Amino acid sequence: MARVVVTGVGVVTGAVTGGRERVRAFLLSGGGPALSVPGSALQGLVDETETRRLSRVCQLSVAAARIALADAGLGPGAGLGLVLGAEFGDVRSTREFVDGYLGRGPAGLSPLLFPNTVMNTMAAATAIAVTARELSLTLNAPTVAGELAIARAAAAVRSGRVAAVLAGGVDEIDPFLAELLAEAGAVRETRGEGAGFVVLESRDGAEARGARVFGEITGAAWRALRARPYGVGHDSGSRALAAALHEAGVAPNDLGRVWISASGDGPRDRWEQAILEKALQPARPPQTALVPRVGRHSGLGALAVAAAALDDAARPALVHAIARGGTHVALVVRGQGEPGSQRVSGHPQ
Amino acid sequence: MRPVAVTGLGVVSPFGTGVKAYWNGLSAGVCAIRPATLVDTEGFRCRIAAEVPDGIGGSPRRSRADRLALAAAREALEDAGLSRDERVEAALVVGAVGGGMLEAEAWYWERFRGRRPASRLAPGATLPFAHVEALGNALGLEGPRETLVTACSSGAASLALAADLIADGVVSAALAGGVDALTRVCFMGFNALKLLSAEPCRPFDRDRRGMSIGEGAAFVVLEDLERARARDVRIYAALAGHGMTTDAYHVTSPHPEGEGMVRAMKAALARGRIAPAAVGYANAHGTATPQNDRIEARAIREVFGAERLLISSTKSMIGHTMAAAGALEAVATVLTLVHEVVPPTAGLDTPDPDVAFDCVPRVAREAAVEYAISNSFGFGGQNVTLLFGRA
Repeated sequence: MARVVVTGVGVVTGAVTGGRERVRAFLLSGGGPALSVPGSALQGLVDETETRRLSRVCQLSVAAARIALADAGLGPGAGLGLVLGAEFGDVRSTREFVDGYLGRGPAGLSPLLFPNTVMNTMAAATAIAVTARELSLTLNAPTVAGELAIARAAAAVRSGRVAAVLAGGVDEIDPFLAELLAEAGAVRETRGEGAGFVVLESRDGAEARGARVFGEITGAAWRALRARPYGVGHDSGSRALAAALHEAGVAPNDLGRVWISASGDGPRDRWEQAILEKALQPARPPQTALVPRVGRHSGLGALAVAAAALDDAARPALVHAIARGGTHVALVVRGQGEPGSQRVSGHPQ
Repeated sequence: MRPVAVTGLGVVSPFGTGVKAYWNGLSAGVCAIRPATLVDTEGFRCRIAAEVPDGIGGSPRRSRADRLALAAAREALEDAGLSRDERVEAALVVGAVGGGMLEAEAWYWERFRGRRPASRLAPGATLPFAHVEALGNALGLEGPRETLVTACSSGAASLALAADLIADGVVSAALAGGVDALTRVCFMGFNALKLLSAEPCRPFDRDRRGMSIGEGAAFVVLEDLERARARDVRIYAALAGHGMTTDAYHVTSPHPEGEGMVRAMKAALARGRIAPAAVGYANAHGTATPQNDRIEARAIREVFGAERLLISSTKSMIGHTMAAAGALEAVATVLTLVHEVVPPTAGLDTPDPDVAFDCVPRVAREAAVEYAISNSFGFGGQNVTLLFGRA
């Protein structure tokens, strides 16, 4: 089994756009929430043709992927896979496609928009943009899609099925979607938008090409806890946490920090706390949530993993996320203590 | 890597509910593509689809796709005889595209026309991940859960990912498959792309005019082979290998040389350590579009050589069932090995001279095949090949 290292990160969010240095500066800076990605964030990251042809959510994904690969010093080519998490897909294009029909009948249907109604459209656009020709997966899940994608990608690298993977996710805020969620009485949480990817490689492969490794994923697991669909459960006995810590050879007392998925959804946030308390007791490592600064979206998993890797604690960190419905993910990340690195912290909870 | 066995099968298809109805329909070469009733076809050139007949069961409060998935998943789990405790640890991997879109469309249509929708829309129930939550909760599956969206290869990719979890020792068993109900968006979209045939599709026929769409669900129980043997359960086949690749070429068109398809097939063979000559049958993606069939045949020829392999497209009978297709075709491939009968390509009258294979026209063929592949390809250039071997 290969050791899985983090060699690059790229994020496009309301609060920060860039690779590891921008992410480090963002983590050290503090600051309030910035939930929407400004149009200027994509300048220089997508070309004119892409601006014209790709939907906005695809552009976010392409831009973050390019930043991550540049950060990793990895050129396009053979051996690159892509695992992308998303909660909603391209809602904007789907609605435009349907409205064309409802407004004008069959003549109003756009063949160009139809592919965007399938949730793998972001992965398809990104794979083409960065020439990722190995496995390309889109994982759909509420809340944890980005973390799940990173865990799945880490497993693929660990088992030797792929040499390098872009792993992360993307979501955009669509006004119609927000209206829909509100009408349906969806829970109130801090939703944002953006894309984020980390580049994962085998340690041997990364070292052979002289990559700047800044973290290692030493444990990754995902399981489900009993809950009604889109509901919050009562069971707090986490097999995902146990499996990830076991794989990493880490005891709860060893953890330097936990990067949690708290998002303002009270029942779900309390469930996460119960899970962590039961799994880690008596240890109580400090916790940090990034949602208050960038909002909840599927690009957040990559930002959390990068934050855990950049945190110059000598101790490993845990990245944890749980979704309504019960899917939850645990990643154990060890920073590599890059020159110039310092302890970073997000918005404390 | 631990070898993986197929120990349970479950299907809801346009032939009805159950594996038996599915295999009876396929082996008899019956075409289940008929005038569509679930979606409004007024004004469209194509007005047919392969719909699942009445009798799915399940609560009407669930989406049609959830009910399709639940019926197929229950059959697979009962077939495998997994105990309640074994289910708790099992993985659940579902390939899906439409989610509860059929119901969401009805809601949106009303709203767009300024009318008050009859029921409230639950956004979580409209998305693809709705199925894993419905299945996981109803069937007591609490292992790793994933919803996979790789367009028309989703069902096949779900089996591949589940097999990885077993091979890596993460779980001993997994329920994996795919589901999609017919939706207006899908029907309208493929019409807009001018990819649908007005008549039932005729894969590999010289005069093919495009695809037919359908709906359904299929699930398989995959298990660590040694554990399956220890349980003394029926082993249908071994999932001997799989390959997943991406064209990175075009969003809707496959690579013109089938380069990604070739890599997927070669990867499946390499992983299974099986020589091309050992494979006797390919359940083709076979959508019946002029371009896709020609490119797939070319790719198969590059990997397996000309003429020897038997190829058929079961889409000729049940249409293209989207995210369910890869899983339904995986079940068809497994049953081919079990029954030693290759299902035909219905509607194939005049073989395309560019397709240098015996595509088993119209009538099923007896053939004792040791290894067989199932190909699934999707938008985004997503290629998946599953390799099955006799138990």
